[in-house]
Amino acid sequence: MTEKEEFVEELSGLLEDNATELKKQWVKEMTEMGLLEKLSSLEIEQQSTAIYDTCVLTIKTGMYEAAKKYAREMAKKGVLEAMTVDQIIMGMLKLRDVYGRFIFYKYQKDVEKLYKVLGVYEPVANRILSIVALAFVEEREMKITDQQQAMLTLSTPVLQIRDQILVLPLIGTIDSARAAQIVEQLLNSIVDTQASVVIIDITGVPIIDTAVANHLIKTIQAAKMLGADTIITGISPANAQTLVTLGVDLSMMTTRGSLRSGVKLADEMLKLVVMEKR
Amino acid sequence: MSEDKLPVKNESDIISVRSFGRNLAANAGFGIVDQCRITTAISELARNAVVHGGGGSVTIKTIQNDKKGIEIIFRDEGPGIVNLELALKGGYSTVGGLGIGLSGAKRLMDEFQITSSAGKGTTVIIRKWLK
Amino acid sequence: MEIPILKIEDFLIVSFQTELSDDEIDKLREDILDKIKETNARGLIIDITALKIVDSFMARSLSSIATTATLLGAKTVVVGMQPAVALTLVELGLRIKWNIQTALNLERGINLLREALKSEKDVVYE
Ligand SMILES: Nc1ncnc2c1ncn2[C@@H]1O[C@H](COP(=O)(O)OP(=O)(O)OP(=O)(O)O)[C@@H](O)[C@H]1O
Ligand SMILES: [Mg+2]
Repeated sequence: MTEKEEFVEELSGLLEDNATELKKQWVKEMTEMGLLEKLSSLEIEQQSTAIYDTCVLTIKTGMYEAAKKYAREMAKKGVLEAMTVDQIIMGMLKLRDVYGRFIFYKYQKDVEKLYKVLGVYEPVANRILSIVALAFVEEREMKITDQQQAMLTLSTPVLQIRDQILVLPLIGTIDSARAAQIVEQLLNSIVDTQASVVIIDITGVPIIDTAVANHLIKTIQAAKMLGADTIITGISPANAQTLVTLGVDLSMMTTRGSLRSGVKLADEMLKLVVMEKR
Repeated sequence: MSEDKLPVKNESDIISVRSFGRNLAANAGFGIVDQCRITTAISELARNAVVHGGGGSVTIKTIQNDKKGIEIIFRDEGPGIVNLELALKGGYSTVGGLGIGLSGAKRLMDEFQITSSAGKGTTVIIRKWLK
Repeated sequence: MEIPILKIEDFLIVSFQTELSDDEIDKLREDILDKIKETNARGLIIDITALKIVDSFMARSLSSIATTATLLGAKTVVVGMQPAVALTLVELGLRIKWNIQTALNLERGINLLREALKSEKDVVYE
């Protein structure tokens, strides 16, 4: 056993032996700082035991896996929901203080040994703190990515305005990732709602280039294969001019100037069927 | 990482090869639409190997470097494609087909490599990556 | 494998249920066309709800069934195509060659045919 290993064993042994007392001290100090206000005493007991044990285990084994796993779980649960990130990190700092002061107290007679034990303790304590902080940052980043994904879906709502009519108002720039997502969403909506006319309103799309035009044509054709007709509304004169210049065949599309006239046309298309029935 | 070499000698092989491909694609985590793209590309190229190449083999496997994906290799020792450029452009068929098999499979996949020489046969490699 | 061809009113209805091999598709086409002649059907509905893939061979077969059936006096509607299949077919490059009538489901397909036949009759009466 190396000298360092000896210290590790001695230190973790000390922390284990004095667990009850040190934990009590820690909880007391956190309570005084008002960090645990919203927790029940059972929660305090469970969480402090779990955190305390994880820290001792990490010091003992030098393996951070358990600490990482625990920190991730804490972060995911929004920890104890009732605590803010600030409170959690303050709590961890407090635990570091409690351990630290205990070590000072134990080795006050032997400063040389104190330094060596601190040499084992400090890096582990710092590392645990950075793991906890990181877990929270990562959790937050993951939430943001999820939200962005949700926004992407939200930004292209498919609206059912009549029994068999869907309206898809497109807003903003359309890159190919978004275009692919829109096409899939629209086709699924057609089947889900059994809509026979789809109006795609592109008033809110600033630039229509060949790529966007191709996506539109693709959408129209796939919708047609399902059995639904598509009307494109809101092509500005400038955009129409660009499309023609680019060589896009506008005759492949049924177009109307405004969303209103598009809806009117859709009604007519459906009414045509109704009238024939008589 | 699984790898399987399957024969494509006749029409019923086309069905087994493409359902094998669909399963592998589904297990690799591809969504419904990508599964459909991959299966359709397999169907086109497997049929080409049977109809034009006189039969051959197909290797299907998942691949992984920094991304994960699926790779399918079609090999035959048939007559080869005489006019490769034309065949890839689409709309060209020596058997009165639509001529969309090769060009269409290329569009459906992320990567498409073809080598073909007269009298020696044809090899097509296609890949699709998980996004 | 035998695929049933049902008759409802003046129409024939065929549901493609499984993955069909090229041979089976060819045989099915023959059966359908024979049945149209035999029954003098005025319409044909092909239900492909169960198909998870339509490649160029299947598409070409559907297209040729539709064209021939129409020549024999039966208007053809393909119903129930899956969204993923439609998207894949378009990307495959079929956009130019697909000229078949489509409807979302069997019911809409039947309505479509009924109306088409009715307006034909109206023309005859006038
Ligand atoms: N494996 C092959 N061996 C030899 N020739 C081939 C092979 N694959 C394709 N070809 C040639 O390339 C042409 C184009 O192939 P492609 O798959 O695009 O169309 P096709 O098979 O003729 O019709 P389909 O639209 O039904 O696929 C074929 O007509 C054939 O001449
Ligand atoms: Mg082919």
